[in-house]
Amino acid sequence: MVLSGWESVFFWIFSIAAIFAGLLTVMARNTIHSALFLISSLVSVAALFILLQAEFIAGVQILVYVGGVMVLFLFVIMLVNVGSEERGNEEIFNRPRQVTASIIFCGLLVAVLIGALNTGYAGFEERDRTKLQGSAEARLTRDKDLATSATGASRITNDTSRIGNSLYRFASLPFEIASVLLLVAIIGSVMLARTLKQEASVDDVDPEVLRKEAATDPELAEVQSEPIA
Amino acid sequence: MFTLLMPAFALLFQEASRGRLAVAWQKAEHPDLSKFLIIGALLFIIGVAGVLTRRNIIVIFMSIELILNAANLNFIAMSRYLQDTGNENAVAGQIFTVFVIVVAAAEAAIGLGIVIALYRNKETILIDEIDILKW
Repeated sequence: MVLSGWESVFFWIFSIAAIFAGLLTVMARNTIHSALFLISSLVSVAALFILLQAEFIAGVQILVYVGGVMVLFLFVIMLVNVGSEERGNEEIFNRPRQVTASIIFCGLLVAVLIGALNTGYAGFEERDRTKLQGSAEARLTRDKDLATSATGASRITNDTSRIGNSLYRFASLPFEIASVLLLVAIIGSVMLARTLKQEASVDDVDPEVLRKEAATDPELAEVQSEPIA
Repeated sequence: MFTLLMPAFALLFQEASRGRLAVAWQKAEHPDLSKFLIIGALLFIIGVAGVLTRRNIIVIFMSIELILNAANLNFIAMSRYLQDTGNENAVAGQIFTVFVIVVAAAEAAIGLGIVIALYRNKETILIDEIDILKW
C-alpha cells in the first residue's frame, strides 16, 4: 500500500490537520472551541479514510460522529455552565505536577510507539515484499470495469456493497446486538437525565426524599397527585 | 536565537550530505501503512494526554472520542494493507470500525446523560470537585 502523486499531498495535508485539530481540542480554553476542533479533526480523519478507499466508513464517520454525536456534545455544553472556565477564572488543566507527569508519560509513549511502528513495519515489508509489488496495478485492473462517476474523475467503487455483504454474512449477530445496545443507551440516558419533578410524576422517588424536597419546592408538592401513605 | 538553532542546522547539513534527507523525502512522497499507523498513534496519545490533564469532564469525553477515532484509523489502514497483500475482500477492519462507531455513540449518550444528572446535583463539571465517593 503506497500512495503517490496528489494522494500523498492530500495525505500530508489531512494528517497534519487532524493532529493539529486534536491538539487544539485538548488545549482550547473554550469548550465550544474544543468541540469545533474535534469536529475538524474527525472530518480530516474521514478524508484519510477516503484515501484508504473506505468511502462508506468515511460517510458514516461524518454522518454519525459529526452530525450526531458532536451535536449532542454541543447541546450538553450549552446546558451546563462552563462560563467561569471560559472567562479565565478557573484553571483548565489539573495541578502542574500531574500535568508534568502525564506529559512526560505521553512523550515516552510517542517515542516508543514511533520506534516500534517503524521497526515493526520494516518486518511487514520484508515479509510481504513480493505480494506488495504489483498491488497498485492489480487494483487498477480490478477496478477497470467499474462505472465512471459523473465528473469522470474517478470510478464508483463497490466498497459499500462489499461491506454490506460481509456485515450481514459474517457479523449479523453483532449487528443485532448493537441495535439492542443502542436501545439500552437511549433508555438509560432518558432515565439518567430526568429531573426530580419528572421522577415524582411517575411515582419513582423514595417517599422520604420526596417529602423533604416538597417542603422547599412548592411545585414538587403539586406534582404529587395522591398523598403518600 | 541563531546560536540556539546552529546545532539543528549542523545536523540538517550533515544528514543532507549523507543523502539521508533524499531518502526521507522519497519516503514522505510515498506514504505507506507505517505513516497511517504513526498518525493513529499520535492521535491516540493526544487523546490520552487530554484525559490525563483536563479538568472539564466534557473535554475528557471528547478526548475519549479522539482515542476511539485513532483506533478506527488503524483498523482501516490495516484493512487496506490486507486488501493489497492478496485478500481483496478483506473488510473485517471496516466492519469492526462500524461497531466502534456504534459503541462510541452509545457511550456518548450515556456519558452526557450522567454529566447532566451530575450538573443538576453538584453544580459543577470539574472532575476534581466531584469527590462524593471519596471518604
